[in-house]
Amino acid sequence: MSDLLSSVRQPVTTANGLPNAHYIDPKTYEEERQAVLFASWAGLAVAADVPEKGDAVPIDFAGMPLLLIRDRDGDVRVFQNTCRHRGMILVEEPRKIEGAIRCPYHSWCYSTKGDLVSTPHVGGPGQNTHPDVKRADLGLIEIKSHVWRDVVWINVDGKAPEFVDAMSGPIARWAEFDKPLYHGGDDSKFTLSVKSNWKLAVENYCESYHLPWVHPGLNSYSRLEDHYNIEEYGHYSGQGTLVYRQLKSDKGAMFPDFEGLSEKWDTAAEYLAVYPNVLLGVHRDHGFAIILKPEGPEATSEHIHLYYPVADTDAELRAKNAELWKVVFEEDIFVVEGMQRGRHGVNFDGGRFSPAMDGPTHCFHDWVAGRVQTYRSAAQAAE
Amino acid sequence: MDLNSTLIAAHDHGDKRALVELYDKAARDTDDIDHACFLTTQAYIFALDCNHPLRHALHAFLVKHGREE
Repeated sequence: MSDLLSSVRQPVTTANGLPNAHYIDPKTYEEERQAVLFASWAGLAVAADVPEKGDAVPIDFAGMPLLLIRDRDGDVRVFQNTCRHRGMILVEEPRKIEGAIRCPYHSWCYSTKGDLVSTPHVGGPGQNTHPDVKRADLGLIEIKSHVWRDVVWINVDGKAPEFVDAMSGPIARWAEFDKPLYHGGDDSKFTLSVKSNWKLAVENYCESYHLPWVHPGLNSYSRLEDHYNIEEYGHYSGQGTLVYRQLKSDKGAMFPDFEGLSEKWDTAAEYLAVYPNVLLGVHRDHGFAIILKPEGPEATSEHIHLYYPVADTDAELRAKNAELWKVVFEEDIFVVEGMQRGRHGVNFDGGRFSPAMDGPTHCFHDWVAGRVQTYRSAAQAAE
Repeated sequence: MDLNSTLIAAHDHGDKRALVELYDKAARDTDDIDHACFLTTQAYIFALDCNHPLRHALHAFLVKHGREE
């Protein structure tokens, strides 16, 4: 197994891709859950999912029950959605927490900041304290989280470097876009369900090689040769274009630009796969975030959100932009699902890369393989 | 409808504000301090849940009787 990963970590010219097991095997999926998803800063949701104080959304993240909440001070937090008493799920459906988070089983109550505030009858009927039940030790388990580009990133194992250090590359690369982002609202978000391992969506997104074949509509203005690869081994990858053309309404209206961008962005746009599971795009007049939510070894839900430089944008133009992107992302479904089915071919060896065109994809494979190798080494050392 | 039936109906409807007020009333109607603390606890928990303004007074009552922090 480790030999196969060593072959992934060769230069792109000679490397193979990740073995089939990384896409179809439940045990390898579980291993990657720990090594890749829980040990790094993964995307969980967007802050716009909890716009108001008290908004709470339960989210199953790779089988782990989590609770996304905006606390009473307006800060976004993520908790394990599990009562510290009997392990009951605390919040079953998205809802507004008016006061406390009350467990539906024995009614232990938590504040929106996770503090355990009451333990009814814990010392007997009508006696709500007990010397051995120390509330200060029994708050909700909080998951490390950070909001960047409105994405709520989480580090489940709590051992990753601080977010701003771990993500210093993408943050610096897009420093010019470090401006307020305004979610376009209900007409600017959609979800796609794909029968594929989550990694295949990353791999397809971060290379431009497939564009002329899978997105022929882009050929007219965004030719393959207008694109460039982004490869930061050990960190992130993606692609850029030099010929981004702004969307116009029938009346010639366009979205406003983000303020203060350099001339490069007049016609450039970039698309980053921020490992492990977030796909981001920036343009002079809008951005997007895609959270890839693993739903099992062979299923993924893609949560797409579009953002603009100002809160008030033209609704018709927004809808047109959302539809444009939806068509593009839907065009990708047959390839990620086809690659998934292809990985049941027992003689497939992970595949060979185009040295010129597949660098961003290999960059991701190399990162995943490195994470899994590190995890396996630590597990062996602990035995 | 008697108090017990009214309470069950409020539980059935998930009417937390009614539960706060009904349990509080029940607590006030008993001379048994232990039972009053049980009922006040019920009222207090639903008050915490729905951010009912009575939560402070209910908490104070329980603290006074050594039943809450």
